[in-house]
Amino acid sequence: MNAKKEKRIGVFICHCGKNIAGGLNIEALVESSKHIQGVAYVVDNKFSCSEDGQVDIQKAIQDQKLDRVVVAACAPSLHLLTFQRCGEKAGIKPQFVDLIDTRKWTMHGSPQKVDSQLALEKSKNLVELAVKRMRLKRLIPMVEVKTEQSVLVIGGGVAGLEAGLDLADKGYKVFIVERLPTIGGKMALLYKVFPTNDCAPCILAPKTAYANIHPNITLLTNSELKSMKGYIGNFNVEVVQRPRYIDIEKCTGCGECVEKCPIEVVDSEYSAGMGKRKAVYIPYDQAIPKKAVVDAQNCLYFRKDVCRLCEKVCPTQAIDFEQENQTIDIKAGAIIVATGFDEYNPTAKSEYGYGRYGNVITQFQLARLLDIDGPTGGKLVRPTDGQEPKSIVMIQCVGSRDKNANEYCSNICCMYALKHAQMIKELILPDSEIYICFIDMRTVGKGFEEYYRRTRELGINFIRGRPSEVIEKSDTKNLLLKVEDPDICHLLEIEADLVVLSCATIPSSGTRQLSQVLGIELDENGFFKEMHPKLRPVETNVRGIYICGAAQGPKDIPDSIVQAKAAASCVDGELRKAKIKLPEFVVRASQLNQGG
Amino acid sequence: MEEVYVEEFMSPGCVGCPAVKEMLKELSGEFGDKLTVEEVDITVDTARAAQYEIMSVPAVVVNGILKFIGVPGKEELKKAILEELER
Repeated sequence: MNAKKEKRIGVFICHCGKNIAGGLNIEALVESSKHIQGVAYVVDNKFSCSEDGQVDIQKAIQDQKLDRVVVAACAPSLHLLTFQRCGEKAGIKPQFVDLIDTRKWTMHGSPQKVDSQLALEKSKNLVELAVKRMRLKRLIPMVEVKTEQSVLVIGGGVAGLEAGLDLADKGYKVFIVERLPTIGGKMALLYKVFPTNDCAPCILAPKTAYANIHPNITLLTNSELKSMKGYIGNFNVEVVQRPRYIDIEKCTGCGECVEKCPIEVVDSEYSAGMGKRKAVYIPYDQAIPKKAVVDAQNCLYFRKDVCRLCEKVCPTQAIDFEQENQTIDIKAGAIIVATGFDEYNPTAKSEYGYGRYGNVITQFQLARLLDIDGPTGGKLVRPTDGQEPKSIVMIQCVGSRDKNANEYCSNICCMYALKHAQMIKELILPDSEIYICFIDMRTVGKGFEEYYRRTRELGINFIRGRPSEVIEKSDTKNLLLKVEDPDICHLLEIEADLVVLSCATIPSSGTRQLSQVLGIELDENGFFKEMHPKLRPVETNVRGIYICGAAQGPKDIPDSIVQAKAAASCVDGELRKAKIKLPEFVVRASQLNQGG
Repeated sequence: MEEVYVEEFMSPGCVGCPAVKEMLKELSGEFGDKLTVEEVDITVDTARAAQYEIMSVPAVVVNGILKFIGVPGKEELKKAILEELER
């Protein structure tokens, strides 16, 4: 056997200005690196990622005849591609360029920062491992595969629709999978949106309507992802569509069945529990598709084998009680996850009495009450007695910025509280007294500060403090609150007719399960984790799977739209050439996995 | 190859990962200095997993080549290491 040529490895140690050099003895790291087997060249550099730094690396590759490179600098998710491209320009294949993160131990503010002695020990160890890994790494055989010109979008809210429409307009076949019977997501139920106070369904409808008729879009409502196999360009997905018990080809959305159905239940999905619906129902007037759906849990036929009135009155014979779960196989070149958010259930914050006191509601419930197409026709009334509230208290940061619930700021609660206060004061109950109890008002966004000022000018009372407790008066069901206002050094006692909790934005139910099916990571708060929080905010740890909207973290509609467009752009970037180069083992492993 | 570098991709909640870890620990005892094992937590080092297009754990990469996804048999794993040593 021929003696194998020893690999010549270059080690480039970055100062990152003072970010690394301020907490690490660079000279010592350079010295120790020289003695690692395979290392032919070591140099330190003030900024390896700078133009000068990259030229130095390329020059060293050529002058020193290097065939492997290790850069000790920052996180691979940030700059690995930079250095791989740099190496490629000098003739080294990307897989033989590695980046290791020494900055996490030295940079001011890094949660992993350690003292300089420990930073040196850890850095030495990391360089040694990386050099060994590079020295022994074999050339990965690559194969070229065709990519499906289709995309699966999970979630039919505003983010999913935006991404889906962008891609459909570019010519890709798009499958939008929505768990509920209608697309539109939370936005359709918000009544108005800040800071323009546009009618939410009005500005959403052009997107839902277009998605419904777009020749490149297939809408799969009442559906969920069951399994996923494959890799970028060739994902094989199984979607389960639950039965509506309605033939949607025949259903005209006339509502005859709804009218005759004798069963009425609380509508938790579309009225947030503030209204009722029938056991066969059409979610709301602008629902897409505007088709009825049977709630089998409450339908008399499914529960007691009686009734079937809907079947008798349907003019198009669209009722079909024989429907079963249907499995749909989809081939997709890429996947976009846009599963949105849920509102935090404030029952756990027992001091506010949600669930115990009838007149304590959430902001999402308030949105449904304010909606002229909502359960009360836009009449704001107290749940306990149907009377108009004269005094309303909103409590901010319920379940947010709270070590016992969710530490993060939910981003949108300040603005939707302002929006609802404006709606009530300007449109619904001008004589009502409204209080907003807050920790900080965070109105960062275009036009948001002006919106805040306008709300103040309407005479809304802002109190910098949150009540410690809400107590219900047994006779009137009014709510008593004591809150310290440090701005006026005074303890206020308020008797409110209605208390509204601005609850945290949390990951939508099913997020964890979906992350397991797709193999993508979640962050510490349970939202889908991006590849890099600043520079790669819509990519995930799996190439070809992207995230956007509130599924990635709390955000408002404009930011969701921006992310959706970014995700669509990433997908287009990967799929537009209709072929892609991948490691041979990825394709082989997938074929084995699928029995291919 | 005179040596083998194994990257063991795992995550904290992974059910099969401890079994692979244990096998590699035993094989490290057998192969001594010839075998280096590095544990890579994909929840921390997502970029490394992405380099190999790894979508589920446990996964085992041997000298830069993804060899196993899921829990391999110990003999299979040993064979993969021996094959690299004999290259």
